[in-house]
Amino acid sequence: SSSQSNQSRNAILVSHRQKGNPLLKHIRNVRWAFADVVCDYLLGQSSCALYLSLRYHLLHPDYLYYRIRELQKNYKLRVVLCHVDVEDVVKPLLEVTKTALLHDCTLLCAWSLEECGRYLETIKMYENKPADLIQGQMDTDYLSRLNHALTTVRHVNKTDVVTLGSTFGSLSNIMDASMEDLARCPGIGERKVKRLYDTFHEPFKRVV
Amino acid sequence: MVKFHEHIITDLLDDPSGGLVVLSSGLSLHHPSQGTLLLLSPPPSLLPHLLPHHQISAITADLPSHHRLSLYSSGQICSVTPRILIVDLLTHRLPVSSLSSLLLLNAHNLLDTSTESFIFRIVKSLSKSVAVYAFSDRPQSMVAGLGKTERIMKALYVKKLHLWPRFQVFVSQELEKDPPEVVDVRVPMSKYMVGIQKAVLEVMDACLKEMRKTNKVDVEDLTVENGLFKSFDEIVRRQLDPIWHILGKKTKQLVSDLKTLRKLLDYLVRYDAVSYLKYLDTLRVSESFRSVWIFAESSYKIFDYAKKRVYHFQRSSDTNTIGQSKTKTGKKRKLKRGDHEEDVEEEDGDGTASANSTSGAVLEVALEESPKWKVLRSIEEERQKQALSSEEITAEIQECDNGIVLVLQEEWEKYLLSKVELRGFQTPQKKKSKPKPREPKGFGILDGVVPVTTAQNSEASSINKQEHDALLAAASEIRNQYKKDNVVEDDPQPDAGARKVKKDEEKDRTKDLKHLVGMLKHSEVETKDSLKISGSENEGQMAKIEQPVLDGKLQASTEKGVLRRHNQQPAHTASKNAKPIPPVHFYALESNQPILDTLLPSVIVVYDPDMTFVREIEVYRAENPSRRLKVHFLFYEDSTEVQKFEASIRRENGAFESLIRQKSMMMIPVDQNGHCLGLNSSMELEVSSSQNSITRKAGGRKEVQKEMQVIVDMREFMSSLPSVLHQKGMHIIPVTLEVGDYILSPLICVERKSIQDLFMSFTSGRLYHQVEMMVRYYRMPSASGIGDDVTPTNIISKLSLLALHFPRLRIIWSRSLHATAEIFASLKANQDEPDEVKAIRVGVPSEDGIVENDVRAENYNTSAVEFLRRLPGVTDSNYRAIMDGCSSLAELSLLPMDKLAELMGGQKAARTLRDFLDAKYPTLL
Repeated sequence: SSSQSNQSRNAILVSHRQKGNPLLKHIRNVRWAFADVVCDYLLGQSSCALYLSLRYHLLHPDYLYYRIRELQKNYKLRVVLCHVDVEDVVKPLLEVTKTALLHDCTLLCAWSLEECGRYLETIKMYENKPADLIQGQMDTDYLSRLNHALTTVRHVNKTDVVTLGSTFGSLSNIMDASMEDLARCPGIGERKVKRLYDTFHEPFKRVV
Repeated sequence: MVKFHEHIITDLLDDPSGGLVVLSSGLSLHHPSQGTLLLLSPPPSLLPHLLPHHQISAITADLPSHHRLSLYSSGQICSVTPRILIVDLLTHRLPVSSLSSLLLLNAHNLLDTSTESFIFRIVKSLSKSVAVYAFSDRPQSMVAGLGKTERIMKALYVKKLHLWPRFQVFVSQELEKDPPEVVDVRVPMSKYMVGIQKAVLEVMDACLKEMRKTNKVDVEDLTVENGLFKSFDEIVRRQLDPIWHILGKKTKQLVSDLKTLRKLLDYLVRYDAVSYLKYLDTLRVSESFRSVWIFAESSYKIFDYAKKRVYHFQRSSDTNTIGQSKTKTGKKRKLKRGDHEEDVEEEDGDGTASANSTSGAVLEVALEESPKWKVLRSIEEERQKQALSSEEITAEIQECDNGIVLVLQEEWEKYLLSKVELRGFQTPQKKKSKPKPREPKGFGILDGVVPVTTAQNSEASSINKQEHDALLAAASEIRNQYKKDNVVEDDPQPDAGARKVKKDEEKDRTKDLKHLVGMLKHSEVETKDSLKISGSENEGQMAKIEQPVLDGKLQASTEKGVLRRHNQQPAHTASKNAKPIPPVHFYALESNQPILDTLLPSVIVVYDPDMTFVREIEVYRAENPSRRLKVHFLFYEDSTEVQKFEASIRRENGAFESLIRQKSMMMIPVDQNGHCLGLNSSMELEVSSSQNSITRKAGGRKEVQKEMQVIVDMREFMSSLPSVLHQKGMHIIPVTLEVGDYILSPLICVERKSIQDLFMSFTSGRLYHQVEMMVRYYRMPSASGIGDDVTPTNIISKLSLLALHFPRLRIIWSRSLHATAEIFASLKANQDEPDEVKAIRVGVPSEDGIVENDVRAENYNTSAVEFLRRLPGVTDSNYRAIMDGCSSLAELSLLPMDKLAELMGGQKAARTLRDFLDAKYPTLL
């Protein structure tokens, strides 16, 4: 039975309500199984998705609200997967956006069933993926890394980084510098000195 | 300035509340606009006009704000960018009472939602007496769309529309008083060009028919003639945009195919044969799977003819053909006598053919020159003769007056490149067509006969030496490349039938072409370099005489500025037998410079017909009645070029006629004092029904039940959303925000992204950090995307990841600005109004380094944590452990390796960090 639970952990759990939804055909890269779940698609331990076709929404404008209410507070990430399948989208999309927004749901729109499937698959697959992909690549050479780090301190700019670097010779020296030493650098005023010094010397955690 | 310009100004200034002037294109719009400014300028009037102008103190983002304020209060004429003006108006830094008039150029670009309209709305709502003067010289764009002129005028709050078409009595009288001497040269297109043109038109027609079948577009505008214009895309897009997301792949492809086909027609008369073929080849490679047109019946003709313009393929056992081809090339050569360059090519071609006679297959180079080149050349020679015969007179009287302006719309740079390529082209051709070309030995021979060297021999006296050096370098590069290639591709298969060989060779050829492209880039750089050097050494070296055409190309390939400076004083020091013939100027229309007024030419050759430029010549003529002026027009007979030129005149006239009609029945709402009421007062078609209902209920913008406030970041005034929000009746407060773009309520903060922006900020990681900040400070952070026709799969994965990492982030999907504004309004409905002071402080640490409202700030030294996480070796998984293990960054910097490894969970990470900390900062000297 442990293998079975293991299996279900790696699969998208689909509510019985979704039986017959053509979307299921497009979930190809991740396993899925029917199960008794409140949401339409259970994508992880604390993430779930509701499927809504805009056409259906036009017929039953209250449906989404009731479905969201059913979820209660059980999930951290609550996705409303909206399939845009009507021509005049402005008004229904506005309603859906409003409902989703005011009830703590993340709205994802897809213009085809394939896209819907892709969203479900990726959310499942990326469950434990770090955010590197969207954090942007950084240049890996020394100077840009140093810039990247030191400019986190507010008001410190690239010129200051050069000044600091050439004055102290290495990052560990900069981090270890006294307030007086820092103040002696051209272009680094009182406020910057304090910010730098605090950053380096204040403990990470304020409450001991 | 010509007389009708004065008319324009007096007419415009007649009405103190201002007006909109629409002028035919090319009629020197700057004259009336400048004149108006001058007349308005007597102090103390203040006139921010919306386009930068060098004589007027320009206010841009670089100017510090106190400077700006003193300029405002000084009462001078200022030119202000819309973004700055709107912010200053909203913050009351520029009091509307001190404003006397506004002047706007390019009025055709005005939209209801653009910042400019926003400005006019605000100004007019505060002071009705500000005069508005607007200009446009694009009548066609003024009639694009339903009631566009009327809308523009309402947005401008002007009542008067002044139309000045070319056929207006004053204008035509004045311009036709003393017309310049015009020589109309109709050049027949070559056989293949005609064939290609016909084929392209056929395919275009087929595509249009296909388009009509989709039933999605209004068929009336879809004619082949319209298809020749860029605005055709606009027509189609305007019709299809609202339903773009549900269109099938095929329809979308058809739209882009039509664009491609139009380009093909354009390039046919612009590019030389080789570039054209190359372009076709790249098209085939890049589009073959998707496009519809490539599979159309006539398409193969396009490719076939284009190929035939460059080379023929023949079986050489057929000796007759060779004989024929030889005579043919011989004839050609006669025709082109005097044109060294072509000569060389032909020689090469000839050589190729004879060298091939023993091989199984012949690839005969038949480079077709663009027919206009010949004519251009003869005109040039004629002019030179004239100049020589009357040398002294011209030299004395018109010292710097008789430069020829050659109008060439395309970039001549490409031309030069193609020249180089033509020469380089011989190399592979030769190589391939030799009986045993693939043996390295062949290169021994080749080295001796590198075409460039030949070229140098025959042209040594005439062509810029530097160019040779560059070419030579390029050629040797190419040669080297081939040697390398040869090693790799050496493939001693005997030719198995001509067909296969052909294919083989074609493949090779395309490969070679690719190499060549690379080479060419290289050689371009070199040429440029050498030219720069020569420029500094010898001022006028570029204005060469013997080969004006060729050198002109070189000229054009250098920076325009240099060119202009040199050409005023024709210098001729470079070649030995230099004669003082005035220089030739090549001028690309797109560069948009007042070339005629600067150069004052007496002979003009119009290479590509263009209506605007023709008008410019007319005005130039009227302005300088004493000057001799001769104009040559080069047309291709029966070409789309002529069709296009004529159609453009027809279109403009049509536009004016429609404007005149519109003017006669235009309804501009006016209040009791005769002030224009603008857009909001009337029931506009575009205004959505819900907005109408608001107006009905409350009877106007000012009495909306409750004044809603939105705090908007300064940088957001580039977009139209603030304007639309204001239209919706919200109060806009511009401030500089550290976090987010729009603050709707104390809890809701929105970061707005257009689709392109969204993609970019995903790749740069900016969005991640922006969202991170928003999540930290606001309960309901939202990202709002505008536009929806882009949904490629890679955005799906990124969006999913974003949603996973920020479960509290809400995403707003919006089709249009109005939809976004609607959403904003409904989100605000039950929320408190945002606090300006608080919003500014968000994310900005106060003096003691503690960031206000930061949920983590009380517990963590956030900047230190941030700093730590950006150090190499530190990851999401180990930074907590590091923070537990040592108290501060200073302490961390002193930790030894083994302790670090323990904290970071690995030697490798620890080593990375330690190395980074201790790395010696590179000295900059």
